[in-house]
Formats: sequence, structure tokens, C-alpha cells
Amino acid sequence: MHIAEGYLPPVHAAAWTVVAAPFVVHGARAMVRQVREDPDSKLLLGAAGAFTFVLSALKIPSVTGSSSHPTGTGLGTVLFRPPIMAVLGTIVLLFQALLLAHGGLTTLGANAFSMAIAGPWIGYGVYRLTRRFGLSIAVFLAAMLADLSTYCVTSVQLALAFPDPVSGVVGSIAKFGGIFAITQIPLAVAEGLLTVLVVRLLVRNSPKELLRLGVLRRRDETTTPATPQESRP
Amino acid sequence: MSRLDTLAATGPWRLRHPGEKALLGLGLLGCAVGLPPWPGALVVGIVALALLLGPARVGARQVLELAAGPAAFITIGSLPLLVAVGGPGVVRWAPEGLPRAAELAARSLAATLCLLLFAATTPLADILPRLTRLGVPAAVTEVAALMYRLLFGLLDTAATTREAQAMRLGFVSWRATMRSAAGQASTVFVRAFDRARRLDEGLALRGYDGNLTVDVGSPPVSVRFLAATTAVLTIVIAASLWLRAVTT
Repeated sequence: MHIAEGYLPPVHAAAWTVVAAPFVVHGARAMVRQVREDPDSKLLLGAAGAFTFVLSALKIPSVTGSSSHPTGTGLGTVLFRPPIMAVLGTIVLLFQALLLAHGGLTTLGANAFSMAIAGPWIGYGVYRLTRRFGLSIAVFLAAMLADLSTYCVTSVQLALAFPDPVSGVVGSIAKFGGIFAITQIPLAVAEGLLTVLVVRLLVRNSPKELLRLGVLRRRDETTTPATPQESRP
Repeated sequence: MSRLDTLAATGPWRLRHPGEKALLGLGLLGCAVGLPPWPGALVVGIVALALLLGPARVGARQVLELAAGPAAFITIGSLPLLVAVGGPGVVRWAPEGLPRAAELAARSLAATLCLLLFAATTPLADILPRLTRLGVPAAVTEVAALMYRLLFGLLDTAATTREAQAMRLGFVSWRATMRSAAGQASTVFVRAFDRARRLDEGLALRGYDGNLTVDVGSPPVSVRFLAATTAVLTIVIAASLWLRAVTT
């Protein structure tokens, strides 16, 4: 769920745009450098971005029985790295604003910071820290925490804009977090599980792409456990 | 195509210069967030809705359906302003927050209508190539254009895969639903990179040198439209400030 158009006061909207800008500019420079060195990668980046958009449109069941959409930031950051995700995620948010009216143009900076910067960087940090325990564990934790941290950052953004009259920003974080972050925990777990299943299928179906993206190392190809479908007779 | 893009591609303002529509839609958006919520949000909201239903010829039902998602966020997001945390009782109903919540909801709804006005009249394909003039690197706009080119085919792939899975009882249980959703994602991943590879091969055969420059049609800018837009924006600002002055 993105912050809707016009929801943030103008000063906050501008401030979050300023905060997000260095990350997006850094990612754009990385993208320009990559495209200059390898013009063919432009097409792969386009495919990666389109995949990220479609991923966020898939329906996943929550463990509570309802359904929602994954943020896709965990899988995106594992596959394409945080700097590239900062740009691809911002483009996806722009597309979602102009094609679906989800999010907005004035809130693009705030949404980009939570969904294209904070979520991917936290997810990638967790992935790197836990990669030694196995691909599935690292991917699960990265996807779950990228999703959850995205919504925690959104709650903080809303709390800063609308502090509680009695307890200030801290109380407001509790209020917005109660609505937008606590309720997200089952969905974050579901996204973590889904991402593990996706990566297992990709290991089986697209090992060359994963090797090229650096997700898979040569020895992983032979040591990754079989998926449930693979173990069937 | 998305509903908004379809409306933009088939609407009466399809051939107007994107700059004209940006001045109107984004100018009103600036008014919605910049003017005092009362009465600015009301005035901007009424004008944006009138333009959507009138000259832009977007149906009332379509406007309602498109605004439903943002309206849900705005409603849920306004509720915390009606609750106070801390002090005796820890959590209590705070009716004094009602005016602030109402202002927030009104401003956000008005801004959403302005966004709809711009998005429902301006196809994304007209916007992306022009982002380079705003300082966005050409490589980034070209990647965005490729994403736009690929994503509708991939959304169709995901929908077709979902349909096929549904016919094979792919959503009868939580486990089956998760497995089916993962299958959709991995199918889309494989198709996305396959299409990119085929596009690369096709371009290479046509002498691709790394530039994906496309011919962007540039319709003439209508001075009358710009003058009318400036008049509308001026009236909106003046009316909002006058109404505020007489009601406070």
C-alpha cells in the first residue's frame, strides 16, 4: 500500500523527495555506467523492471486467510542489487501512480524511500548476512524483512507528518504502525515464503540467468535442495 | 493496457500536447496540496471532477472505480487522527482530531482527482520520452520505455498462467495457492528475460548500436488551451483565498 496522492503535507513530501534523491541518482549513475559498458544490458534491465512491476501485481494469500500483493522488493534486491532497485523501484512507483492511481506524484519521493530504498537495502543487508546459512533461509529473511521494513518506514513517515496531540511522534508511530505495519506481519511472512518458492523454481528453470545476476554460485547449482515438485516420482 | 492508459489513448485530448495537460493536471495538483485545505481542496476537487466528467469525458463510474483504491488508503490513514495515545486511559477517542482528519481526507481526495485528470488524458508513452528534457538520463528513460513495452505482455502471461492454474485446481488450498503464485512469478521471470533476449537479437539484426531513439510526435501547443488553463488556475486560487477570507 502506497501513500496516496496529496496525503503528505507539502514540506514533508518535498523533504522525502530530497532524502530519496541521492539514492535514486546513485542508482541512475550505476545504470548509465552499466548500459555504457554493455548496451545489451539495457534490455535486461527493462525486463527486470517489468518483472518487478508484474511481481507487485500478483495476488498472494496471507496466513490469516485474506490476500494481498507482494512488494517484490526482497526478490528484486536479491536479483538486481539495491542501487538498481532504487531506480527500477522508483520507475515502478511512477508507473503505478500513472497507470493505476496507486501512490502519487507528490508522494513519489516518500514512497520511493520506503519501497525502493529502505526495503531493498535492509533486505539486501539481511541477505548478505545470512547467505552463509543457505540460499532459502537468506531469501526468506530478506524478502520478509524487506516487506516489513517498507511498511515500518511508511508508518514512521506518516507519524512524522501527523504527530499525536498527546504523545507526539512516538505515539503516532504506535498508531500508524498498528494499522500499516503490525497487520503486515502475516503478509510479510507470506511474501518470504513465496519468494523462497520463486527462487527455488528459478534455480531449476533459469540457472544461467541467476549465475549471470550473481545470485547463484557455481557450487549452489549442485547443492540447492530439490523443490517439492522435483522430489515427486 | 491499464484502464487509465486506455482512457488516455482513446480520450478526446489524446492528440493534445502533453505539456498542456501537465500544466492543467499538475497545476491543479499543486493547488490541491499548496492551498489551505479549506476551502482549497473543495474548490480544486470540484474543478478537477468537472473537467474529468466534462471535457475529458471520463465516466462517473470509471472515476469512482479508479478513486476507490486511493480512497481506501485515505480513509484508513485518516482514522489515527481520531485517536490519541498516552495520558490516562492510554488510548482514547479524540473528536478534536476530526477537523484535521477531514482536511487531510479532502486534500488527498482532491489531489487524487487531479492525478486522475492527468493520467486519464496523457498516455504514459507520451510522457516517458519527454522525461529526458527534465534531466532524466536517456539510459533511464529508455529502460523505463522498455519496461512499459514489456509489462502488458507479461501481465497477460501472468493472467493466462493464473487461469490455467485455476482450471487445474491450483487455488484449492493455501499451499496450492502459494505454489501457483510462485509458478506465475517464475513464468513471468523466464518470459521477461526471453523477450528481452529476442528483442536484443531482433535489434542486433537491424544494426542496434545501443541507442533506442524513437520518433516522438510533437503536436502543436494550443495557445487557447494554455490561456484557458491559466485562467482556470487563477480562478481556483482566487476563489479559494476569497472563500477562506469570508468564512474565517
